[in-house]
Parts: sequence; structure tokens; C-alpha cells
Amino acid sequence: MIDWVKKYYSVLKMSWIQTLEYRANAVVGAFAILSGLLIEYLLLSEVFADEISSNSAIKSFASFNHLIIYIMLCMMVGQLKSSWHNSMMMIDEIRSGELNRYLIKPISYFSYNFMNFIGHNSLFYIVYFIMMSLVPVILGPGYAFNGIFQIIGFIMTLFISVFLSYATYFCMICFGFWFGEVRALIISYNVFNIFLSGQLIPISLFPDGLRQVVMNSPFRYMIDFPVSIATSSNFNIQYFLEGVLMQILWCIIMYLIGRIIYSFGIQQYEAFGA
Amino acid sequence: MSFIQVNNLSKHFKIFKREAGLKGALQSFFNRKYENVYAVKNCSVSIDKGEIIGVLGENGAGKTTLIKMMVGLLHPSSGSVLIDGYNPWERKNNFLKDISIVMGQKNQLWWDIPASESFLLNKSIYNIEDKDFNNRLDELVDMLDVREKLNVQVRRLSLGERMKMEIIASLLHSPKIVFLDEPTLGLDIVSQSKIRDFIKYHNKEHKTTFIITSHYIKDIQELCKRVYVINKGRGLYDGDFNDLIKKINPKSKLVFEFNNIPSQEILSNINNKYDIQINGSQIAVELEEDKIKLLLIDLLKIDYSKNFKIDELPVEEAMRSFFTSPDSFLND
Repeated sequence: MIDWVKKYYSVLKMSWIQTLEYRANAVVGAFAILSGLLIEYLLLSEVFADEISSNSAIKSFASFNHLIIYIMLCMMVGQLKSSWHNSMMMIDEIRSGELNRYLIKPISYFSYNFMNFIGHNSLFYIVYFIMMSLVPVILGPGYAFNGIFQIIGFIMTLFISVFLSYATYFCMICFGFWFGEVRALIISYNVFNIFLSGQLIPISLFPDGLRQVVMNSPFRYMIDFPVSIATSSNFNIQYFLEGVLMQILWCIIMYLIGRIIYSFGIQQYEAFGA
Repeated sequence: MSFIQVNNLSKHFKIFKREAGLKGALQSFFNRKYENVYAVKNCSVSIDKGEIIGVLGENGAGKTTLIKMMVGLLHPSSGSVLIDGYNPWERKNNFLKDISIVMGQKNQLWWDIPASESFLLNKSIYNIEDKDFNNRLDELVDMLDVREKLNVQVRRLSLGERMKMEIIASLLHSPKIVFLDEPTLGLDIVSQSKIRDFIKYHNKEHKTTFIITSHYIKDIQELCKRVYVINKGRGLYDGDFNDLIKKINPKSKLVFEFNNIPSQEILSNINNKYDIQINGSQIAVELEEDKIKLLLIDLLKIDYSKNFKIDELPVEEAMRSFFTSPDSFLND
């Protein structure tokens, strides 16, 4: 077990080292994160600031600040769990035969790239965690992270959602063994995922039928659930445990599906290139 | 039971062909025609521990496909491979710790960071003890003379330096079997020679089994006593490399210069016996090795010249004519 942890921690460390190798890229990346959020904030304030009091659907949010915090947190979690870049890289590796270099080593391709994904996203983690910790300071108490349980619960559910999202991407990546190019599948999934996981519009604002479907799908546990923990005013242990259990269940399901597709796919792998 | 046992291994790929141009692309989009192409067909070979064997063949002959199946990268269409008791496609960790592969055109090192970081990653992946790691790294780095390049980003290294780093990365965990696919591809003569010397040394010191493919005949000549020749996916020859060359071209070339030109009668006798042409005081002739020896003895009886030499015909030429018509050389 210790060897396993050491092995994959080394992969994580390597991706940190690689991220730090390009200082300019790291600085611009951090700036891009901040400016993206600022633009989103300004846009939302124009669209929703006056709506809160008049639109009954949006009234589920106590104030504009509650809505904006919800959407901002959704965006941040969405970014943290998105292995978009990593997925494109993995599809390329399968198509070009670069996967060979992982297959000849005593490592799991799934775990290796998961650590790689976490490592390369570390910059986002740092910037977002700083920003999240500033929420109570800037807006005052009552909007998010209202207690230690909410903070711990959010961190826990965030990491499970990151794994769940990666495992879902992995299932789709594995279709590359048959079709070679599956970027279109990832792009389509991303579009649906941004909408269905509540990143664009809170799930509570969805029409009833769609909301029921989403609430019983893994999408809910990728963004909406961790954010709902972070923004809850009272920590409901039963709600939390049931949610975490469902998250873990979806992780196991997606992981097993991924493993099955991978085990069949690897038999089709053509290991291109000398 | 041999250390490596390959039995009737075959691999076919399902590929589609289309005509060039937009019309061909459109036709292929709606109606794709597939055909099965055999990359390797019924290849069998057994290799002992500590051997260095060369896998020879033209481009597209199936060498790399054969190696990819042996390391478990490709699943075969039929046949079996057993390496030290392991089936490669099961990808057991113990098997993967015993093998290593270096592909001349593929990197295993992280491109943007120094090779030393990739070595540390391999240390964790293969669970190498600190002491063993440091000793092996020192030995490999000194042998290949790349100590001062250890902390330079991989992308800033020359091709030769990068290949040396790749070889170091592949040997750090002391694998029992190393597959080298074109290890000297694109390298200058000095680097090629260093890598060959290193392989010989490593094989001698550590009894590592090397399976090498190379288009540089010098690599094969210097490193491999035994070769496995593959052509159009089929195994054609398995045996001693020098025997193969002799089979392909059993002739050697003798150049002999008389100190004193002998009488016409003596020259006629020699000419009749060996069917050779004599130009003035010099004889240049290509004959089978046995005949060359007999001719030389006869010539030395006539005139004790110190001015003669026997050359073997260039191996490259021999291999070129072999691959043009391989069956004609191996049917006897």
C-alpha cells in the first residue's frame, strides 16, 4: 500500500514539477482564472441583480449574493473536476501509440493519468482555494462555508466529484481504442455536463421533469452536491452522508464501466508507431 | 523450456484502403472497405537467458509488431508467447518489472523536465531501493558519459544524449530482458559505437537478454551472434549471423600481386584450374572461401609475395541481395 502511494505520489510530483517549469504559463494561467471569474461575475450581476426580487423561480435564492456565490462555486468546482485537457491528451496517446510507454511499466494507466490530471490542475486548486477562503471575508458570513463541517464536507465531496468526473471521462476515452478519434464525444459530453451539472443554471431552476432526472444521475454529484454542502447554512448530516454514499456508488459504477471498456479496448489497441 | 518461447505467433490488422483525394475520402466515409493484412505470420523462436539476438528485416517486415507482441503491447491474432513463465498480455507487475523496451522513435522521458526527474519517477514506479538506484545510476551515467546532462531539460538534449538517457531509464530497474528497437537510429558514428559497447558490457556483466532490431548492419554484426530474419511477416532464418552471410554470399575476394611475373605456362595452369583472369602482375578474384585458400597456397608456391589480401564482401551488399530474393538463398 505504501509503495502504491509512493508510486502515484511521484507521478503527482512530476506533474507539479512540469507545471512549475513554465513560470510564465503558470502566472498567465492564474491570471486567466481570476479574469474569467470576474467577467462571469459582471455578466451575472447585469442579468440577475434585478431579477431576484421579481422572478419567482430565482426566489429560491435568498439574495443576489447567494445566487452569485452558488454559480461562482459551481464554476470553480466545474473547472476543478474537468479533465478536458487531460482527456484530449489521453485520446492522442491511444491514437498515436504513445500509450505504449505506460503499458510497458508496472503502473495503471487510469491511476497514472488521474494523478497527472490532479497535478496539472493544482494551479486551479491553489487559486480557487484562496478565492473560496476570501468569500466570508468579502461578503460576510452566511453565504458559504458557514462552519467547519461545511468546509470539511465540501473538500471531501469535491475530491470525490473530481474522481467521479475523471472516471466518467475515462469511459469515453476508452472508446478511442475502437474509433481512434473520440474528441467529438468528449466535446458533446462537456456541453451536456456543463448544463446538467448546474454549472450554467442552478439545478433547482430546472423544469420539474428534468430536475428529477438530473437529481438521480451522476451529474448532480459532480457539482451541485459539493456546492450545496458549501452553501448550506445548517449542516445536515443525513443529507451529507446519503449524498456521499451516492457519490461513492457512482464512482464505483463509472470506475467499473471504465475498467470493462478498457479491458476490451486494450485488445483492439494497435500500438502505432515504432 | 527456453527463457523466451514464441510459438506460431500471428497478428493481422484490419485496415481500410481508400483512393486519394476528396472523392476517395467521401466514398470511404460512406462505404469503407476493409481488408485483413498479416503483419506477422506463424513466427516461432526461442531465446535463452543472456543471449543477444538481432531481429532483421526490411521496413514493414513485421519486426516491431513481433516485439510489441512479445512485450504485451499488442494482442496476437493467434499463437503464444511465454517469457520467463509469464504471458505478456496479462501484464503482471512482476513481468513488467523484468522487461524494458527502448524504441528509437518514442520517448519515455518527460520532455519538459530533466531526465534525472524521470529517473526518480522510475525509481518509484519500479520500487527501487535508494542504494541500488544510486549505484545503478552512477554506473550507467558514467558508462554512457552523460553525467553533466542529467539536469538539463530532455528537449534540450541532442538525439544521441536523449537516446543514452532513454537507455539509462530503461535499465535502472535491472530488467532481465531488454528490447531495443532501432537503438542507434539517427545517431552519429561515435554515439552508435558507444551504445554498442555499452550493450556488450551490460550483457556481459549482468547477463541481460537483449533483443535488438536495427537497420544498421554494424549493430547486428558487432552485437548479435544469432539473428532471426523476418520477411513479409514470416520467419525466414534463425541462426548464426555469419553462417547466414556465408549462405548469401560464400565468396571472398583475393587480391594478389606477384613480385616477379611467372611464365605464361604457369599462369595458364592457374587460369585453367581456377578460371580466373590475370592482369599483368596482379590477380583480383572472387571465389568461395575454400577455393580462395587453395588458390593462395598455389600462388605462394609460385611466388612468395607479401602483397596480398583477402576481403569478405560487404555485409550490407549481401543483406541487400538477400532481401531482394530471400527464398533463393535459403532453399538449399
